This record gives sequence, C-alpha cells and structure tokens, in this order.
Amino acid sequence: MSEMNTATTGIPREIERFNVTFRIQHVLMFTTFLILSFTGWGLKYAHDPEGLASIWIRIWGGPDTAGLIHRIAGVTMLIDFVWHVIYLIYLFATKQMTINTKTTIIPLPKDVFDVIKNFMYFFGLSKEKARFGKYSYAQKFDYWAVFWGMFIIGSSGYALAFPMQVSYIIPSFATGWIWELLGLMHSDEALLAIVFILFWHFYNEHLKPEVFPMSWIWITGRISTETLKHHHPLEYELLFPEEAKKEKKG
Amino acid sequence: MSQKTYAVAVAPLLFLLFFLPSVGFSQESETCLSCHSVMKGKIKVQSGSMVDLNVDAEKFKASVHATLPCTECHLKFSAASHASSGAAVPSDILSLSTKISAKFTSDPVAGASCTKCHEGIYQKVLSSVHGKNILGKKQVDGALCLDCHGSPHYITKVKDGKSPMSRKYQVETCGTCHGNQEIIEKYKLEENVMDSFKESFHGRKLHLGHTRAPVCASCHNAHDIQSKNDPTSPVFGNNKVKTCGKCHKGANEKFVPAITHKRPGPIPHYGEKLLILLTMGTFAFIIVHVLLEAFADIRDAVFRKKEGK
Repeated sequence: MSEMNTATTGIPREIERFNVTFRIQHVLMFTTFLILSFTGWGLKYAHDPEGLASIWIRIWGGPDTAGLIHRIAGVTMLIDFVWHVIYLIYLFATKQMTINTKTTIIPLPKDVFDVIKNFMYFFGLSKEKARFGKYSYAQKFDYWAVFWGMFIIGSSGYALAFPMQVSYIIPSFATGWIWELLGLMHSDEALLAIVFILFWHFYNEHLKPEVFPMSWIWITGRISTETLKHHHPLEYELLFPEEAKKEKKG
Repeated sequence: MSQKTYAVAVAPLLFLLFFLPSVGFSQESETCLSCHSVMKGKIKVQSGSMVDLNVDAEKFKASVHATLPCTECHLKFSAASHASSGAAVPSDILSLSTKISAKFTSDPVAGASCTKCHEGIYQKVLSSVHGKNILGKKQVDGALCLDCHGSPHYITKVKDGKSPMSRKYQVETCGTCHGNQEIIEKYKLEENVMDSFKESFHGRKLHLGHTRAPVCASCHNAHDIQSKNDPTSPVFGNNKVKTCGKCHKGANEKFVPAITHKRPGPIPHYGEKLLILLTMGTFAFIIVHVLLEAFADIRDAVFRKKEGK
C-alpha cells in the first residue's frame, strides 16, 4: 500500500533532518562524552573492585594523563555546547528556525499524553501508538538530558577542573559545603548520564529492530520520507499536506 | 686488542664480583646474625616484654641500616654480648631511653639510639603531638619511630615503595591508629578521616597512582606533626592557604575549605539524596519504557503480524 503511494507521487525520497553543523556538534558531543565516561569511570570507582580501576586508568596513560585527557575532553564538550546554543540563537535571529508545535523540540503537554498513550499501547489497552511531530518525546528527552547534564555535570566539572579560578566567585556562605556538593553532583549525574545513554539512547537509536545497527541520520543528516511518514507523521503532514490528504482518502 | 679478547680478559674479573659480599655486613653483625638469623621464638627480657630473637638476614641486608654493626644501636651489648650488666651508655641516650622506656619496652636504649644519627628528626618528633603524647602524657599506644617506619632492621627508603611511609602505604600505616575506633575515642580524634580521605579526589588519585596526589604527611607534616587545633599545624585555620598553595598555586581562603575530613554537611548530604532520587526515578522510567517497548514490539511481530500490515 505505502510503496504504491510513494511510487506515484512527486515528493522527494528523503529530506534533510540535521544540517552539517548539527551533525558535527553531535559527533563532538558523543566522542567527548565517551572519552569523559571512560576516563571518569576509573576515578569514580577508584577503589572497587580492588585493582581493576588502576589497570583501567593505566590504559588511559595513568592517572596524570587520564586527568589531562578528561579535562581537555570536558572543555571541548563545553565549547561544543556553547557553540550549539549560540548557533540556535543565530538560527532564531535570522528566522531560519521558527517555533512550531509540530516541529519544536520544546517539551509540550502533548508529550505527556504521548507517553501515556504509548504506555497504554504497550499494555495492550490501546490499538494506537502515539503520533509524533519532528521530535518524539523520547528524542526530546534525549536532547534535554544533555542540557541537564551540561547544567549539572558541566558546571560542576568546570569548577572541579579550575577550582582556583572558580573559588573567587563562590559566595563565602557556600565555601564550606559547595566543593563537596560539586563533587557529588559531578559523579552522581555522570553515572545517570552514562546509564541514560546506555539504555535510552542506545535502545532508541541503535538496538530497536527498525533502526539496528543504528540510525544513519547522524552521518547522512537525511531521513527517508517513508520513515518520516512512519515515525513522524505530524511533521510529514506538515511538510506534504497534499500527499497526506491523498493517502488518508486512499 | 679486539673486542673479543677484551671480553675474554674482563669476564673472569666480573665473575669474581659474585664472591664479593654485596652490601657487606660488618664483621660484628655477621657474628650476631650467625645465631640470630636462625633463632626462632621470643624471650622475656628484664622489663617483662617479649622480644623476638629472630632477625631475617636477607631483609636486614636489603635495609638502609645493613652496614651498621648491631651495637651501633644495641649499645648495652657492646661490651661483651649478653653480659648481664651491659656496657656503659652515653648519658644523653640513657636519659632519653628512660623517657621512652614505658613505650619502648624491649630495648629502650636501642630505641633512643636513633638520635645518634637522626638527632634533628628525633627532636622534632619529641616536640610533635605524637612525641608529647609519649613524653608528657606517658601513653604507650602513641606513635614513635618504629610505629610508622617499621622495624629498624628492615627499614627501607621511603622512596623505595616498600616502606610503610611510602606513597603507596603511608595512608594505610597512619590508619592503623587513625582508623582505630578505640584510639579515636581515647584521644578524641576526628572520626571518619580514613574514609573521607579515601573518598576524596586526593585519596582516589593517590590510590590510582597519581604522581602528585598528596599523602597524609603532605598536608599534616611528618615528624613535626601537630594537632589540627594547634596554631602551628599546617592545617590550622589560615595556615591552610599556604599548605594548599604548595600544590594549588594561588590558593585563597575560599578555596581551602574544599578538603576537610569532616562528614558531609547537611546540604551535600541531602543534595546527594535528591540527586539519587532523581537518578533512580529516571532509571525506573527509562528501563521500564525500554523493556515494555521491546515486549510490545515482540508481541506485535509475533501475534499481530496480519493486523499490522
């Protein structure tokens, strides 16, 4: 049924989803993320299991070098994040990006209903899966998790990497406990980020039967209109209203 | 002379090296060790304490004291070995030995004789919180030379890595007292110091073998250690600015509270609880979601094949 429709219509076979800037930002983000996770893990679990962390850290050139790698990767990630935010501001300022409820990545009440709808579907209580715009709630969650990570892990990491410089701006009432808190924030939320990526991102973008071994959008930046129609029907309807109408009637 | 003939000429000479004593015990030590290296067990001495008779010759040979004759420290034995009266001991060492005799029961003269070579350090120790505890308070469970450095027969350089005061073992060694609940309670020491150091960035890095991570003595001083409440202690009040500044250039009053051995205050404590709650909540959501979605996919693939497409 669907094959016939695409064959007869004049719509493009694929559309650009992420431009090259976004793709580079993503590559920088995940390479630094992996390096940070690998080097940081050794320090977080320095004591247990006994001896293993020492071996692991030696793979990264010993604790001195691993620390340096961790700092360089951390600063690179922060720069990548700042670049992303500035780029977004630029896109909005030049009207290349506008806010539309069907294409925005900003969480909306609809996302909560989508979660409920999907859970109903998982339990067999509903025959309909949630229908998404450009970004499903899973993808929004993925995206904003990075912001949370940057806010918590990035800021604390910056403070821990440059304690001397940061100590000047810390209000005196906080000096007694802030460093302890920063250490905990960095380490606890790093674990959250790692597990989040391992379960959520890896399942949704790698392991799911329909994307395995991975969704190639991170390299090509393009999504086929077939996939778009299937996974992002609201965006499809927005982009190709004529086709969508025809298909509904058909 | 060709290289080969040169080698032939030198090889026998090199071979002779095997017959030379490698470190060379003194003649006297050889005599003592001929019995004491094979003797086993302990005997009771005059003071009533049990003394181990065995000296491991191999380990002694590897120690920094290997070349010293036994009577360099065991001064009482220098006249005739095992004579009941013993030899005359210099008065300064004798007076020091009586001061430490309660603590150093086996051979207090030997314990005091460290000062013959290490006088400056010995004086520092005696005026430190550890020394004052023994001299002033007459306690016997406090630290003196051997409690930290181990047996003088087997003592190695701190940099060797096998010494109990080496970077690898120092924290553990200090912990034998500072992690001992009885001693902590008796002397009202700061609790939790070993754990808080272990958990700290310093402790973790040290454990992993970081070359610049501090050990206990890096901040608290070694032989001239004082209580943290003593104004001369490097970790007392604003002395920390200078102490931390040894590694952290430009350390200021706001920076130095970063490291304490206290239990975390309420804000970090409840802050962490909050973070754990958030983390666990997120885990619960994503894991349940991923599993349910996977099951639903399998269900659709197996049971709803026909309906789906």
